[in-house]
Amino acid sequence: MQIRIEKRLETPKIVYIIIPVASILASLLFVGVLLLAIGVNPLEAYGVMLSRAFGTKFGFTELFVKTAPIILTGLAVSIPLRAGLWNIGAEGQLYMGAFAASFVALYFSPPVIVLPLMVLFGLLAGMAWASIPGFLKAKFDLNEIISTLLLNYVAIYWVEYLVYGPMRGKEVYNFPYSDLFNDYAILPRFFGTRFHVGVIISFLIAIAIYILITKTSYGFAVKIVGSNPKAAEFAGISRKKIIISTMLIGGAIAGFAGMMEVSGLHLRLRAAVSPGYGYTGIPVALLARGNPLFVMVAAFLFGLLYVGGSAMQTTFGIPVAIVDVFQALVVLFIIGGDFFTRYSISFGDKGEKYEGEKG
Amino acid sequence: MGVELTSNLDSGNKTGNNKTESKKILEMRGITKIFPGVIANDGVDLEVNVGEIHGLLGENGAGKTTLMSILYGLYRPDGGEIIFDREKVEFHSPGDAIRAGIGMVHQHFMLVSKMTALNNILLGYRTPKDPLMDYEWARKRIEKLSKTYGIEVDFDEQIINMSVGEQQRVEILKALFRDVKLLILDEPTSVLTPIETERLFKALRRMSEEGLTVIFITHKLREALEVTDRITVLRRGKNVGTLITKDTNERDLARLMVGREVEMIIEKKRKESKEGKAVLRIEAVHARNDRGLPALKGINLIVKQGEILGLAGVSGNGQKELEEVIVGTRKIEKGRLIFNGEDITDYGVARRVALGISCIPEDRIETGMAPSLTVEENLILRDYVKFTKNGFMDFEVIEKHAEKLIDEFGIRTPSPKVAARTLSGGNIQRLIIARELSRNPLLLVASQPTRGLDVAGIEYVRKRLISFAEEGKAVLLISEDLEEIMQLSDRIVVIYEGEIRGVFEREEADLEKIGILMSGGALEN
Ligand SMILES: Nc1ncnc2c1ncn2[C@@H]1O[C@H](COP(=O)(O)OP(=O)(O)O)[C@@H](O)[C@H]1O
Ligand SMILES: [Mg+2]
Repeated sequence: MQIRIEKRLETPKIVYIIIPVASILASLLFVGVLLLAIGVNPLEAYGVMLSRAFGTKFGFTELFVKTAPIILTGLAVSIPLRAGLWNIGAEGQLYMGAFAASFVALYFSPPVIVLPLMVLFGLLAGMAWASIPGFLKAKFDLNEIISTLLLNYVAIYWVEYLVYGPMRGKEVYNFPYSDLFNDYAILPRFFGTRFHVGVIISFLIAIAIYILITKTSYGFAVKIVGSNPKAAEFAGISRKKIIISTMLIGGAIAGFAGMMEVSGLHLRLRAAVSPGYGYTGIPVALLARGNPLFVMVAAFLFGLLYVGGSAMQTTFGIPVAIVDVFQALVVLFIIGGDFFTRYSISFGDKGEKYEGEKG
Repeated sequence: MGVELTSNLDSGNKTGNNKTESKKILEMRGITKIFPGVIANDGVDLEVNVGEIHGLLGENGAGKTTLMSILYGLYRPDGGEIIFDREKVEFHSPGDAIRAGIGMVHQHFMLVSKMTALNNILLGYRTPKDPLMDYEWARKRIEKLSKTYGIEVDFDEQIINMSVGEQQRVEILKALFRDVKLLILDEPTSVLTPIETERLFKALRRMSEEGLTVIFITHKLREALEVTDRITVLRRGKNVGTLITKDTNERDLARLMVGREVEMIIEKKRKESKEGKAVLRIEAVHARNDRGLPALKGINLIVKQGEILGLAGVSGNGQKELEEVIVGTRKIEKGRLIFNGEDITDYGVARRVALGISCIPEDRIETGMAPSLTVEENLILRDYVKFTKNGFMDFEVIEKHAEKLIDEFGIRTPSPKVAARTLSGGNIQRLIIARELSRNPLLLVASQPTRGLDVAGIEYVRKRLISFAEEGKAVLLISEDLEEIMQLSDRIVVIYEGEIRGVFEREEADLEKIGILMSGGALEN
């Protein structure tokens, strides 16, 4: 028997479905092995995860609450990705959005304008933060992976500094928290749960972005830049404008996610605004291949993991970090799976027909 | 038909090369290679005699490279066998093939650009003093080879500083250095100037005299006729005939290759009057190349209505920069561009497109299209703004537009919705021509428009250019192919090192004069 690897000219559509599904299954399998190694039955653990998310009203609404920011960060990664840029900085953009929104919530008045201003400042702060790597990339071709990543740390430590120092609340003892927001700075909630209006807005944003990037001439220009920057130039599309604008849109959405988390969930600024949603956006965007509709689907999967992750922690004492492990595995498998979009593998002896035989 | 021709040959005793009559060095039998969706080689038989120059002729995609890659151990065949030097062989890598005595110079060179020619030739070779490098010994040996075959190279120059022709000579020496008995050259002339081509042919004849066997791949009929002893023609993966060169001619070869009658010479009718409104005026334009060096040094050109202006020159003398300056993707340092009476020096690409400047870029795949986008998207790549309604893409109109162009320009594609990357080179070229002509422009800059195309493709492109000019439009034809320039142009200018070296009306132009100017020489009066 002989294994043959050959370059493909055209990739069958089915491959694009098989790769993400197989990546998820393989990651679940690997995590299962890890669970076994620490003495937990993986089936039981996954069972607990599912029953937590789907078994109770609280769990089910939590699923949406956790999915919403992941949709947003998934979009924040996807939009620049369509132009060929890696926005690893959604986490930092989210933190800056959270910071700016909190600043408005704590220090601005009159009450009626606070919530709209929080949204506006959240968007602007995320944009501003993303504009730095965008500008550096457009102007000096500075690698955006590095600049976005490093700016995350700046943003996270900035917020930490604030909640340990100037913005620390008067009644929070030694916790790194600001004071609670006033009611008028809090997003409305439903069903007596934490399900807040931001969740619905997140889905609407995803649909709006879907329309923007698949139906408009702007989306078409982004696609050309992502496919072949030289052809884009030849078509009279300014690559620099596309680089900066996709980063700005991505940053704005991540900034909104930050606003939503403080205003809908934490009700104050605190350290650890996000458990790493910005990074979760990366596998989400990869699984979805940058398509906002699929971003919603992939975000659900990770929302489930976050909800289930905390359930596994309370039931089995498994550290929530297992979610990070899963996330990293998905990224690895997807990137590895990319091989199959470019090469086909067939089995069979020399001289056999092309279709070959398995085994 | 193929069978008939081949058997003719077997019975005949008038093989091209007398001294080594019917002694075979290579026999490929029933070679089959299937790629997903294409049968690249379909039971191909090939016999090559010792010491002959054997031409392998065929259109693009006929399977020439695939067949030779199989022989060279790059691909494993799905069927068939190879007998080399009277032994049945099975190569698993190029290393195996080289050890058996087969060398191959690829269409795309495989040299290390930051190393000298000498080091490239020695790369991976074990000199007698191994593990130490015996440069003395190697240099002597290479110099001897160089002299024997008349292949001159500056051994201490880095590849990056060499012309393409010189790089090719390094590749050839690299193969010869390894004592090959059979040398395969894959479309070697496609990157050469006429003079370099002549030199290469001389070297090939020397090799043949020394008893070396050469397989020479080409899709150019004239070259196959000029230098080979026998020719095997491939069409759609099949051997459609092996012929003795001196018993055949261009017309028959073309018919075999394409499978129908082809117009071999397409000439533009001369423009009625020499006058004509200037469509494009290039005034003392200076520009730099990507490395920041001066590439255009005060170019002055006028392209008039109804004419094809041919810009002859060896690649790398500023043609690409000139193309980009006109398109608007390269900055002008000094000088002006006047289009239809309007100063467009500071206009962006999109505005120039809208004014009616179209371009078939030299780098079709790198610049001309977005490979992962669909055919229909590529057909609106440079005009997409016209296909929108209130900022939204009008998909219905886009699809109709695509269907119309696919039909009108004969683009062969299974559907407008497949990725453009899957089209063949000739069809990609049709796609680009369709897009560029569909906006009804006033000026077409056509850069190397037939490079890499097969006979049928060339015929098509040339006819299109001519009919476009005859509608009263202007064409700037940038080409390395002198014959093409001579056949199509009303006027010819020669570019060398970023300067215009000569302007000819077609009737006063001759190949020799232009060839001299192209290589930097001066004309004596
Ligand atoms: N690696 C490959 N994968 C799929 N198809 C290929 C590959 N290489 C060549 N082909 C296809 O095989 C056919 C023959 O190609 P090739 O041998 O390169 O032709 P030629 O050298 O005569 O122009 C073409 O249709 C080409 O698209
Ligand atoms: Mg080829």
